[in-house]
Amino acid sequence: MAPPKLGDRALLPDRAPAPQSLPDFVGRPAQGRYRGLNPTTKLVIAFSTALIAFGVRGWTGALVALAVVVASATYGRIGRAMLPYALATIPLVISILLVNTFLYPGASDPIAHVGPLSPSWSGLTAAVQGTLRVVAFAMSVALFALTTTTNDLVSDLERRGLGRRPSFVLSAAIGTVPRMIDRAKEITEAQRARGLDTEGRVWRRIRGLVPLAGPLVIGALTEVEEKTMALEARGFTAPGRRTVLRAMPDSPTQRALRWLLTVGTLLVLAASISGALGWLP
Amino acid sequence: MSPTERVDALDIDVENVSFAYPDGTRALDNASLRIEPGQRVAIVGQNGSGKSTLVRHFNGLLRPKAGIVRLGGEAIGLRHVAELARLVGIAFQNPDRQIFGRSVGAEVRFGARNIGLSGAELDRRAASALDQVGLTGSEAVNPYDLGFSRRKLLGIASILAMQTPVVVLDEPTTGQDAAGVERVAAIIANLSAAGRTVIAISHDMRFVAEHFERVVVMRAGTIAMDGTPAQVFAESAWPTLESTFLEPPYPARVGAKLGLGSTPTDAALVEALRSRT
Amino acid sequence: MTGDGAKTGLRLSGVRYGYAGGQGPVLDGIDLEIQPGQVVGVVGANESGKSTLCLVAAGIAPGTIGGRLEGTVRIDDINSSHAKPYELSQRCGILFQNPTTQLSGIAPNVWEEVAFGPRNLSLPLGEVIERVEEALDALGIGALRERDPQRLSGGQSQLVALAAVIALRPRYLVLDEPTSQLDPEGTRLVGDALVRTAQRTGSGILVVEHKTDLLARLTTEVLVLDHGRIALRGPSHDVLADESLERHGVSPPSDVRLRRALTAAGVPIPDLAV
Repeated sequence: MAPPKLGDRALLPDRAPAPQSLPDFVGRPAQGRYRGLNPTTKLVIAFSTALIAFGVRGWTGALVALAVVVASATYGRIGRAMLPYALATIPLVISILLVNTFLYPGASDPIAHVGPLSPSWSGLTAAVQGTLRVVAFAMSVALFALTTTTNDLVSDLERRGLGRRPSFVLSAAIGTVPRMIDRAKEITEAQRARGLDTEGRVWRRIRGLVPLAGPLVIGALTEVEEKTMALEARGFTAPGRRTVLRAMPDSPTQRALRWLLTVGTLLVLAASISGALGWLP
Repeated sequence: MSPTERVDALDIDVENVSFAYPDGTRALDNASLRIEPGQRVAIVGQNGSGKSTLVRHFNGLLRPKAGIVRLGGEAIGLRHVAELARLVGIAFQNPDRQIFGRSVGAEVRFGARNIGLSGAELDRRAASALDQVGLTGSEAVNPYDLGFSRRKLLGIASILAMQTPVVVLDEPTTGQDAAGVERVAAIIANLSAAGRTVIAISHDMRFVAEHFERVVVMRAGTIAMDGTPAQVFAESAWPTLESTFLEPPYPARVGAKLGLGSTPTDAALVEALRSRT
Repeated sequence: MTGDGAKTGLRLSGVRYGYAGGQGPVLDGIDLEIQPGQVVGVVGANESGKSTLCLVAAGIAPGTIGGRLEGTVRIDDINSSHAKPYELSQRCGILFQNPTTQLSGIAPNVWEEVAFGPRNLSLPLGEVIERVEEALDALGIGALRERDPQRLSGGQSQLVALAAVIALRPRYLVLDEPTSQLDPEGTRLVGDALVRTAQRTGSGILVVEHKTDLLARLTTEVLVLDHGRIALRGPSHDVLADESLERHGVSPPSDVRLRRALTAAGVPIPDLAV
């Protein structure tokens, strides 16, 4: 008889059999009216609103997208959480308003004459529309980001057939940023301790780019090598679909909604591109 | 290129320093410490006890939330780290978070160049530093063609080349083999002979007992014990050591069991046995 | 052991290995055999080939990282060159020095981290759960199950990584300086876990370490590696007390050092047990 292997049940002293159900914190579904929706549903909503905001000319696209986003946020009771994201668009919005109002090409309907500058109504219209588009887009992204964790999204996509490699890359990419930031801090400290001046005049600070970026890049490359070995040692390159731990909640209503939104958005975009929607305000 | 040139001695005075990180973690809690010029001090304690936070106050990487840090009698205040690096050189634990030079020669000169050295003096210092870490003759080698432990020695060399009055070594023996540990021991002895202050953070109690005259034990942001190895590893101190998850070195345990008093090193134990018979 | 002795064991025969793009062989003629139930230690100076030996034994070299291998590496009934990496990892697990990089980096909690391997093998959910629970249990880290793997101490991370490895149920385990980056508490945590693992399971373990005190506790046999060759081998006690150990760049265990110091001083050696 072959000798038992590490981790084999046979080797553990007599215990009650291990629980056969998944611990409840594993893949715990998100709570909340909008949050609790299936991640792919939320993804489709985000894509649709973003595409409609930019894909349809005039007021309609932006307003419809914004309305959908605001309605969803209200339904999900996360309106307040979205505020910082809305406020973050202000700098961009101001520049859009100014540039378009004052510098709109070919405008022939001036509002007033302010010295050499002639703000125009067409410009102002374009400005406000542009603003609405940007805000709609930003809010659409915010809505998604605030209500969906990377894990849940990737888990659902994988269940629907996304390969293990792209899934891993997606999950890992998000986690990379905080790690790189921590690493950059360590590198900065070590180089400052060797006299690299990060507090002095600007031109001295620019010289610091290579000593700061160099170890970061080298470290990232080394990590890729180590990670590859570690992943293979954990069977990552085995064939087949990875075992699903817990399926994200879904419903026929959501399925229908996703189809509707996808097909609808594509139709609208096609119509918009072909000029059939010129009659919309 | 003698490593025993005398330099300006510098004392370090930490007075009632407290520090908390932005996320609220209290890393130092009213710690006070005075290190005389030329001392060999080991700072020990488990991860999170405040050792790394403490030494980062010596060169201004961290500024105290309360209390004062003085170098040579003068408060550090807001002096730039780049300036303080001339006085206190810290060789951090992970060489791969600092090495970027394409050659050993370029890397070892980095710190010294930053503090204004050049030409023949720079070359002299670089050669001396490489000699101390056993990398003479490897000036053209790419640092990443060296193994990890030799890269670590290279990191230490780049600090040695700066010839600062105070040298801080963060975990210098971790991952080193027997030869590497001996080199680090020799470096410490050389620095001390030259009158420079050597401060090391270490997990290796044996190394600490054998090469340092003073051991500072930290726990939860405070200094739990501060004394010679014989004092810190004496049986009466074991409960304190245990509370910070440290174990006295083997000779100390044997000596206590044989009733020989405090024998933190093999040599001390041999001596105690010899004088008993 | 088994009735069919020829078919078990982690066996390296006449192994020479050089990295891709490297200069010359790093391992130069290695013959080594580990049977289930044995715990073998490997010591040597840095750059003597210790880490390479681990990679070759686990089949990662040349399997994943390339390089030139001469000789054979067999794990029980298969030749490592003829097996895929995911097949090898179910026969021989490997634990690296760095506590964090060997974790997947994408698991939100320890439970899912340990489940990573079994999930990769497409095992049925029930079996995934069973393996995870047993691995956590075997290492006594059940209390960490909900914790974020990126926020653990070094010692805890190593235990999680070890649990993740044994969830694949390998018969052999290779450990490359598992405690070198840990503080004393972490070293103790991992050292104890290894002793328990070695005692309780019938696995074959190869452990590379500088800490000869730990090896004295853990192993029955020790190999000394020097410039890619096995310079010395035998029962732990003998090898670790050998006169030539320091010449090969290895520090002897504390009791051996003390004995030598006493002998050199002409002082009779008392009972050194603590």
